[in-house]
Amino acid sequence: MTGAESASIKVAVLSFAHGHAVGYVRYLKSRGDVEVIACDPDGVRSPDAGPRGLELASQLGVGYLDSVEEALAWGPDAVVVCSENIKHRELVEQAAAAGAQILCEKPLATTAADAAAMLDAVERAGVALMVAYPVRFSPSFEDLKAQVRAGRLGDVLAVLGTNNGKIPLSDRRWFTDPALSGGGCFVDHIVHCADLLDSLLEQSATSVRAVSNRILHAESGVEVETGGLVTITYPSGVIATIDCSWSHPMSAPNWGGVTLEVVGTKGSIKISPFASHVDGYGADGAIWLPYGPDLDAAMIDEFLDGVREGRNPQPDGYVGLRTAALMNAAQRSALTGQPVAL
Amino acid sequence: MAKLRVGMIGAGGVSHAHAPHWVALGADVSVYALVGADELAARYGLTTVGTLEQLLLTTDVIDICTPTVTHRELALAAIGAGKNVLCEKPLGRTVEDAKVIAAAAHAANVQVYPAHVVRFFPEYAALHAAVEQGEIGQLAVLRFTRGGEGATSDWFFDDAQSGGIILDQMIHDLDQARWIAGEVVQVYAVQNPPTVNGSIPRNVVVHVTLTHLNRAISLIQGIWGPRGMDFRTSFEVAGDAGALRFDSSAAGTIVENLCTAEAGTSYLPPASTEESPYLTQLREIAKAFQGGPAPRVCLDDGIIAVALAEAAQESIATGSAIEFDASAVLESKESAL
Repeated sequence: MTGAESASIKVAVLSFAHGHAVGYVRYLKSRGDVEVIACDPDGVRSPDAGPRGLELASQLGVGYLDSVEEALAWGPDAVVVCSENIKHRELVEQAAAAGAQILCEKPLATTAADAAAMLDAVERAGVALMVAYPVRFSPSFEDLKAQVRAGRLGDVLAVLGTNNGKIPLSDRRWFTDPALSGGGCFVDHIVHCADLLDSLLEQSATSVRAVSNRILHAESGVEVETGGLVTITYPSGVIATIDCSWSHPMSAPNWGGVTLEVVGTKGSIKISPFASHVDGYGADGAIWLPYGPDLDAAMIDEFLDGVREGRNPQPDGYVGLRTAALMNAAQRSALTGQPVAL
Repeated sequence: MAKLRVGMIGAGGVSHAHAPHWVALGADVSVYALVGADELAARYGLTTVGTLEQLLLTTDVIDICTPTVTHRELALAAIGAGKNVLCEKPLGRTVEDAKVIAAAAHAANVQVYPAHVVRFFPEYAALHAAVEQGEIGQLAVLRFTRGGEGATSDWFFDDAQSGGIILDQMIHDLDQARWIAGEVVQVYAVQNPPTVNGSIPRNVVVHVTLTHLNRAISLIQGIWGPRGMDFRTSFEVAGDAGALRFDSSAAGTIVENLCTAEAGTSYLPPASTEESPYLTQLREIAKAFQGGPAPRVCLDDGIIAVALAEAAQESIATGSAIEFDASAVLESKESAL
């Protein structure tokens, strides 16, 4: 789709709480066929070190409205929900009631019950709900899927996924406030790999077993889990483990990454969608120059194409629900150390 | 060192990782094996002997390189003859076997060590030393992976003889996780495909999760892959002050791109351009046999490693996480005989 031949789409970005909002706004503006406005009513009161609210909107060069009500009254065709996790449900329900198509930051919700309610709301309103899982759009994942589908790995036996990053601390404090985030690294990092597993295996998990600890960043008084391992079983017998820890050292030159290693009866394939980089050393230490396709752009293109074509863009709210349910199961399992049946 | 008379039992796969290094250490090596002794002896310049009794009569220390299920009987014979023993891992097919060996060793006042050779691989030794020195602070999350083309001899796939991939291969990283992060309090494991009627699948993957006493958590992935799959090990260890990682597939000091090279790998790790960890292991243990300092691995390590493997197998069988208590495992060892 090119901007020149299409009518302009009005997109409202609801909240700057999630740092991904910055990249989404920049890309939406750059397309040339999108009118973007933003609102960030809770931004002013947040303890975040980084800019929020009108200040950030001005830096990004987008129009700013003070409240969600005003943003929805502006008549957006679509919204991008980038609030604190716990507020996703209310914003999605408001946007659906206003008839806007919705792209919601991950995780879709902090509980499967909230996710199910959001799906009800969008179905009643007849609008699309997509979840922001950009790793789905990485060429390496598409390649992996194609190779698995073509049988090059034989029967899939096991998957080892990692999503290790730096802990989001000073820029966005709410990530480590369970009242706003719903939890720690489980909530932040299980769902990306869970989404990839969902797409790759096309099966629902049968059991989830998780362990967690709060050793990393204990000195900063974090009240949520910062390290975790989640093991999942599937009806076909496939086993999978996700390391969702905020274990990438703060001294590292990059944010962290995602890996997925799939082992089959004919060998294994490992993807590292964020591995492309040039590294070296400067006066201040290690340098990391990432490169590669803009996954956020590919994801937003799919969202806007879906909006234009009147179809449900993928990954949709149903995988958002399944991955939230898996994340909830991990939280329950970690309380006892015993597996939880799904 | 003084001329050490080593009696090797067994001439299978791992004997080739021991024999040349005993020779390199200047030992006089005899071998007794049901099959392959002549070939092994000819290749490395060893002496063959026709019976176990003769081996015990003519050597100072015994190196057991036989299939797992025979370790108990052979170790007891060697201990009974007053020999110090190096026993290929796992120390025993069962915790009970391992404890019987330990009790006999204690009663006879001889040294017995399990060959947990990964403790002698320089990358793992470097990790251990750095963690001990506090370089990455308090440990939080550890991952270990090990995999490649599966074993070739049939006995590895008979659970009764080998204990399968967990006892044979993953015991390395079970021992590593415990060596690096300390004692374990809970074990959870999953396997695909499952073991059916005691038959271990040729291609199999197991994930074991350990919770340590210090609350650190470890994931261990073991793979017996299809023929031709490169052997690879890796670890990533994160603490509250940093992280350390290693991947054997990216660690070489020599990168070959030879168009004439035949594809294929062996079950054991490829030869390194550094000193073989098997040689390091034998040197350290030979010194202990000759009155030197205690090596970096002890008999209790061998017992607990087998106990961790059994806990993982129990977890797979029951679908539950298994509570683990190393001191309880060791408690009754003196009365095991």
